[in-house]
Amino acid sequence: MAIKKYAFIIEKLPYKSETSRLALTHAIASQTVEIYLDDGDNVEPVIAFIGEGVLNCLKDQKALDIYGVTSLEMHIKNALLLDLRVLVCKEDLEKFGLTEDQIVMDAEELGAEITTEVVPYEQIHQEMESADHIMFF
Amino acid sequence: MKLVVFVNDYKEPPILDRLKADKFGIVFVQNGVYHCTLKKDGSTSALLSKDAELYALSEDLESRGFKAEDVDSKVKVINYEGLVDLIFNDYEKIIWL
Amino acid sequence: MGKLTIGCFSSLVGSMTLDFAVKLAEAAVKKGHEVDLWLSGNATMLGKTRQSKFRDYSYLAGTVEELIKTGKFQITICEACAKARGIDKEDTMEGVNIHSMDWYLASAFSADRVFHIGGE
Repeated sequence: MAIKKYAFIIEKLPYKSETSRLALTHAIASQTVEIYLDDGDNVEPVIAFIGEGVLNCLKDQKALDIYGVTSLEMHIKNALLLDLRVLVCKEDLEKFGLTEDQIVMDAEELGAEITTEVVPYEQIHQEMESADHIMFF
Repeated sequence: MKLVVFVNDYKEPPILDRLKADKFGIVFVQNGVYHCTLKKDGSTSALLSKDAELYALSEDLESRGFKAEDVDSKVKVINYEGLVDLIFNDYEKIIWL
Repeated sequence: MGKLTIGCFSSLVGSMTLDFAVKLAEAAVKKGHEVDLWLSGNATMLGKTRQSKFRDYSYLAGTVEELIKTGKFQITICEACAKARGIDKEDTMEGVNIHSMDWYLASAFSADRVFHIGGE
């Protein structure tokens, strides 16, 4: 019986490529990974946005209305709804002059009980250090 | 942690300054190999001054017209088989930038 | 000997990153390791049947077929990514598996090393 921690680190900008979208969909796939594993084994994912990647977290994304594709905002809310930890680098938010009011901090309207955590980079580094595997997007 | 980072482009990835590890390696692959072979405006790439073990992939050097002797002396040239050994024997976690 | 799980998102044509992933897999298998190659996004096109060999374009189907024969190599494409590109089971090379994304995470679970190559 083992729990393995995967750190999904997102540094790429959204939409021009599907990289950050795939980061979130792969992280969310951890919810069903048990079907392939032995009893008691599981994956513990943590998602962290760093560098330009923090721009995936901006509120009011209209990609669905305009291009007909789900927004990164919707994926982040889904992750929160599924109790996946979502971390955003504090220093990088500040670098872009952004505050918590401008990013997706919760998915209350969907019934999510956890919220986004804005944390210093050092904490994200510690998450990478304690992870069994790092998946860098 | 024992972390090896793959640099695949001829620019300086901003995250590289923030990554740290007890054992830290940088492997230059694809267009990353230009860091090891060229001097821009007379200066070697800042990435070669990192506190890390440095490696370059011979197949990607040769594909671009370089030989092992063109590579900065700080950098060890390895091939794909050497890369496999590096991944399994020397490092635990891998980041492709 | 160990197990290496490689995830790659880059396209077969238009980028050399998938060439890197397959060459690494080939070298690992040659050394006796077991390799799982997971392909998401544009990388799923590597699983397609009837690829043509032109010297101006990357061609990896032959190497993949040889690797599959070794019994130490599994190649799996992301079901949703493939379907979005019009690739169904009947469009894939023999020996190419199709699974949802959780398969990749499960492969990583039992891997000694995970080499995740994100998108471009």
